[in-house]
Amino acid sequence: MSVPEIGQSLPRTEDERFLTGQGNYIDDINLDGQAHAVVVRSTHAHARINAIDVAQALALDGVLLVVTPDDWKKEGFGPMPTKTAIRKGKNDMDLAEPPRHCLAMDKVRYVGEPVALVVAETAAIAIEAAELVDIDYVSLDVVVDPKKALIDGAPQLWDDIANNLCLDFELGDAAATQAAFDKADHVVTLEVFNNRVTAVPIEPRGAVASYSPETDSYLLYNATQNVHANRDTFAESVLGIEKEKLHHIAPDVGGGFGVKNGAYPEPPLILYASKRLGRAVKWINTRSESFVGDTHGRGQDSTVELALNKDGKFIALRTTTIGAIGAFCWTVGPFTPTGGSARTQGGPYGFEAMYYQAKAVFTNTHPMDPYRGAGRPEGSFQIERVVEKAARELGFDPVELRRLNLIPRDALPLKTPMGLDVDCGDFPEVFERTLKLSDRAGFDARLAASREKRLRRGFAIAPYLECTGGGPKEFAGVTFVENGTVDLAVGSQSTGMGHETAMPQILAANLGLPFDDIRYHQADTDKTPIGGGHGGSRNLEVGGSAVLQAAGEVIEKGKVLAAHIFETTPEKITFEDGAFAEPGTNHSMTMREIIDASFDPLTLPDGMEPGGLNVGSTFERGIISVPNGCHAAEVEVDPETGKINIDGYWVVDDFGTIINPMLADGQVMGGVAQGIGQALMEEAYYEEDTGQLVTGSLIDYALPRADDIPNMVLAFYEDAPTAKNPLGVKGAGEAGCCGAPPAVVNAVLDALKDYGIENISMPLTPEKVWRAIHAKG
Amino acid sequence: MPELTMTVNGKQVTGSVEGRTLLVQFLRDSLALTGTHVGCDTSQCGACVVHVDGKPVKSCTMLALQADGRDVLTIEGLAKGGELHPMQEAFRENHGLQCGFCTPGMVMASVALVQENPDPSEEEVRHGLEGNLCRCTGYQNIVKSILSAAKVMRG
Ligand code: FES
Ligand code: FES
Repeated sequence: MSVPEIGQSLPRTEDERFLTGQGNYIDDINLDGQAHAVVVRSTHAHARINAIDVAQALALDGVLLVVTPDDWKKEGFGPMPTKTAIRKGKNDMDLAEPPRHCLAMDKVRYVGEPVALVVAETAAIAIEAAELVDIDYVSLDVVVDPKKALIDGAPQLWDDIANNLCLDFELGDAAATQAAFDKADHVVTLEVFNNRVTAVPIEPRGAVASYSPETDSYLLYNATQNVHANRDTFAESVLGIEKEKLHHIAPDVGGGFGVKNGAYPEPPLILYASKRLGRAVKWINTRSESFVGDTHGRGQDSTVELALNKDGKFIALRTTTIGAIGAFCWTVGPFTPTGGSARTQGGPYGFEAMYYQAKAVFTNTHPMDPYRGAGRPEGSFQIERVVEKAARELGFDPVELRRLNLIPRDALPLKTPMGLDVDCGDFPEVFERTLKLSDRAGFDARLAASREKRLRRGFAIAPYLECTGGGPKEFAGVTFVENGTVDLAVGSQSTGMGHETAMPQILAANLGLPFDDIRYHQADTDKTPIGGGHGGSRNLEVGGSAVLQAAGEVIEKGKVLAAHIFETTPEKITFEDGAFAEPGTNHSMTMREIIDASFDPLTLPDGMEPGGLNVGSTFERGIISVPNGCHAAEVEVDPETGKINIDGYWVVDDFGTIINPMLADGQVMGGVAQGIGQALMEEAYYEEDTGQLVTGSLIDYALPRADDIPNMVLAFYEDAPTAKNPLGVKGAGEAGCCGAPPAVVNAVLDALKDYGIENISMPLTPEKVWRAIHAKG
Repeated sequence: MPELTMTVNGKQVTGSVEGRTLLVQFLRDSLALTGTHVGCDTSQCGACVVHVDGKPVKSCTMLALQADGRDVLTIEGLAKGGELHPMQEAFRENHGLQCGFCTPGMVMASVALVQENPDPSEEEVRHGLEGNLCRCTGYQNIVKSILSAAKVMRG
């Protein structure tokens, strides 16, 4: 294949493997002599553990080991710390972080919490034995609603944490915001509920571990999104070994969306079991276990207050949130309702002042961790819902009200009252392009046609503001092999986004090499010294920039070699279109020729070893990027059944430079589908008194299917590459699920406006919609 | 343990399984055909779809013994002589996959869908995929892939 370009929709390298059944996912990995582990999970949401009797389980033929909390105590293994960037709250309050061990110590605090691990010759025996582990529980009162958990007298999860309060967080200027509210002509207030959901990657989590007594070290294959950070936690925090003693590899990972980011208890459990047994140990979750044993996301109750002048100009925004974080601080769990939701408050609109406060609260539910967007979808939903309400309540056209308040292009760069550095973009232009795509002119005819069918039709537009996140540093290593192959190793990680294509595309385009020459490596702690994994739409921003930087360093080294060969100095050498040349002479060598020369000891300058073009380069971001864009949705609602049909969906995104449009489109489509799922179908629902997860299987948890998702019309605004990173990219991974929930919910409420329905909380199931219509008679 | 014989991807295989062994377990564990995936435990996701006697079947919902004497086609057997099947080719061209985990089942279900209905409408395709979940793609490019493969398969 020829030299690729930036902006080209290169087909994906990984596809042939995936399409022919040759992918290598965690459940496809089997080590010699492996045993199989099954986790015994708590069936109680809150209980004291009186006793654990493993005798019957151990007596079963083929059972090798049952790991209990006592083993953990005896070994002195440590808890897994949270790594949230937000650790301080109001009045300098410290984050309350209870110890999170791999097995429940003395008490269980959510259904699904690991209590023991059974290891047996086969998975079937392990499942049978797990049922024979007899746990004597004394049940305790349960609280699943974070609002109730804060009230005096509520069941307490942790003896030393009053009112189940993990953190009381604030950002922005409370006094200035109050002053703005005092002078405002109008204040519009809305209670917004952001439903608890879970990511449900189609591949369940799993891992395979082995221990080598010869080197006293471990090997762990794990369906994770972050091999480096989780290695550090497993090795240093839990097992108390040097991190170099744990080689952590993620094979092909079947989707993540945040739920595979964090440090889970099962991998250290099987690492320990593998050492004790002297055998490899494999563990794979079932889907039902994934519902009770994977982290959840969203789950926020907010009061949003918008202050406006009588001409419709926004002046201030105040959001007060109560965010569930589950029974423990997970890997970055407390971040989402606090800092994660604060940063993009107010969306792409101008405000004089903003104030955000949030309480992160413990409840008897599975802990929360990032789910695609981690706070930005919540922020986007809050602002767009209150703006829609303001338009209706105060008699403004919703489109006009938004148009009036979008930050104009010439106001950029600016810092929002939340401290977000918005450097470039054109929000009004993106908004107008979205409107144009959505064919507003044809709406009336479509409305009339819907009426004919006794259906209601509604429209909404939802501009959004996003930001990147995740680890600020990334490493790219380029190693030239004498046979012509170029190894590229990067510390970020794909769980389906196509890094194996996009990252070599960047390297090949910049070095002028054929795409097929490059072999990609990721998610292996032996391949890169550091790595930030996946999360926060960070791959191109920091990983892609590291690749670009590494390419630049290769070129500099190439110039030294070329200068030596041309008998001149490196400053005189140019590199263009894949060739080194000395202008004014006929000296020219292609990158490939220079690479070949770099292996010939006779052509090398002093100090350059054969293979001397190799580089290892670390890029560090300064300031996070700000993707932005606009969604619009048109829906039909059947008042007889409450059924919603999304009849049109349009998106214009400003992701800065687009490396591979096909992949960027895919990210938007997938994100929108997840946003629609949250808006209309999905909810991780715990029963109030018992803390049982009602939506504990794919029968009960509604995941969007092909006929739930509309065709989307997508476009990119590419005129504002950011200068915050050398690639000019802003990040594409999470934007889809920021725009979709408000666009869809507001469109449904628009369709139902004649009924005077002000709010329906997500998910907008047919039943809820029907009830809302019929409650209004 | 009971013995069984079946044809898998054109080759005759024999094995002995427990009565409770599922077809997907036999394919993955005994035959090392790990292209067929398991994404759920309630017969919802379709990651495990294979063809049995030419019909799409969720191999997590069928006992291995039920396939005794029958003809099984898995994702590994779809490409012929190094040439991708038109459905595989269409998925690649149209970015019909991301993480690839739903893909084997999705492709096998799609091939059966088009064999059954060679000229499906978009709506029929979306409806026909009701047994297959994908969390990555938003389905749009899967639908596009199937419509374009159907054209090729019609010739
Ligand atoms: S594994 Fe989900 S349907 Fe078979
Ligand atoms: S491509 Fe990941 S689930 Fe479909």
